[in-house]
Amino acid sequence: MTGGPPAPPPARSLSLRDLVVIRLGVAVNLVIGQIVAALLLPVFLDAVGTILVAALAGPRAAIIVGLTSQVLASVLSGNFAWLPFALVQVVIALYAWGAARLGAFRRLATALPAGLLLGALAGGTAAPIAYFVFGGATAGGVTAVTAALRVLGLPLPVAVATASISTDLLDKTIAFGLVCLILGSLPRHLAARFPGLAR
Amino acid sequence: MIGYRAGTSPLHRAHPYTPLALASALLLAVFALGSPGAVGCAVLAAALLALTGNVLGYSARPALTLGLATWVLLLVLHGLLGPEPFAALGPVSVSEPGLRRALVLGGRLTAILLAFLTVLAVVSPARLVEAMTARGVPFARMYLLVSSLTLVPRMRARAALILEAQQCRGLRLGGSPLARVLALGPLVLPLVLGALAEVDEQVLALDARGAGLPGPRTALEPPADSALQRGLRWLGLALAAAAFAFRFAGHPL
Repeated sequence: MTGGPPAPPPARSLSLRDLVVIRLGVAVNLVIGQIVAALLLPVFLDAVGTILVAALAGPRAAIIVGLTSQVLASVLSGNFAWLPFALVQVVIALYAWGAARLGAFRRLATALPAGLLLGALAGGTAAPIAYFVFGGATAGGVTAVTAALRVLGLPLPVAVATASISTDLLDKTIAFGLVCLILGSLPRHLAARFPGLAR
Repeated sequence: MIGYRAGTSPLHRAHPYTPLALASALLLAVFALGSPGAVGCAVLAAALLALTGNVLGYSARPALTLGLATWVLLLVLHGLLGPEPFAALGPVSVSEPGLRRALVLGGRLTAILLAFLTVLAVVSPARLVEAMTARGVPFARMYLLVSSLTLVPRMRARAALILEAQQCRGLRLGGSPLARVLALGPLVLPLVLGALAEVDEQVLALDARGAGLPGPRTALEPPADSALQRGLRWLGLALAAAAFAFRFAGHPL
């Protein structure tokens, strides 16, 4: 165990190592849903790979992870209507990189609030897409909350935004907590492979 | 099952960029269309594309399955909970503008699903890679798209193994929500740390294959292209641009 990692490196051109790490981040984004489904958790955790790569390899690599994940998720599910949500992955990548540079992943005590803030930001970004592109009818759980809020009398835009942000708060807080645990558990020889994590 | 389906239709024989460009043009165009009738025409165009590829039944089934939940949610959110005026539709009263909006949004989704499921069914991944190589698409971009797809099943199998192993060690998947969140650590950490441990090996393998070298790659069997197909691709994109021009001019179709 190496404890919390220091700040990651600034943006630079992609190396072969970055390429392999990006591929890994994409796979993590696409596979983690299987574990979430086994635990019957009401979250997606489809950005853990993006956040992890932002901390390991910088914003450019993380943005590529987010965009590639969104395209491949569409290819694997056949649902290309989700492509506009790629914008949310870009926001997550940039925010996670900034949070990593500020040392948010050093301790759970800082990672969890940072994840909560990202939840508000990502939910706020996803809400207009969900409203204008999908009319509020996106993923089942989120739309169930939207419908419940509509029945309570909230206007549709407000219901969509509230549902989107409330589900993202939990999702991104857990995602940041997981990445903090992963970075903190990196063995010394593995951490040394990533310049931003080497000490 | 979603994916490539071998065949000899005109779309199967076409350059891989042609069905991709036509589906992309349709995706852009549907967002410029504002009436249920126009969106219905877009759905018909997507069905025509599937018919040309001889995969209509193959694409329509998953398109309807994937779109069904969204259609139901749209009809509830906009049709039943939409704004006034309401009209009687059998035993229920539905919002007239809400129903119109639900039809437009649901139609858009159906057209996009149908068009891209057709692309997945008629474009061979191997031919697409050849076409991209011939067009000088950087190796990194192709590697990420193709290689990630091969990594996902391996990671899924590994995730299933870790799940079983941790259950054998006494990890409970049920219980309170907090207990289930805490169970994420023992399942996700071995998966990600194990994959990170293999990074060096993969970098060496890529380096040995010259992946880091600059310069163009040679496509062994580049798919044939033609002026007609190039024209068709540009026509599709021009029609999408025209639909947006009408919309911005205040005359949405």
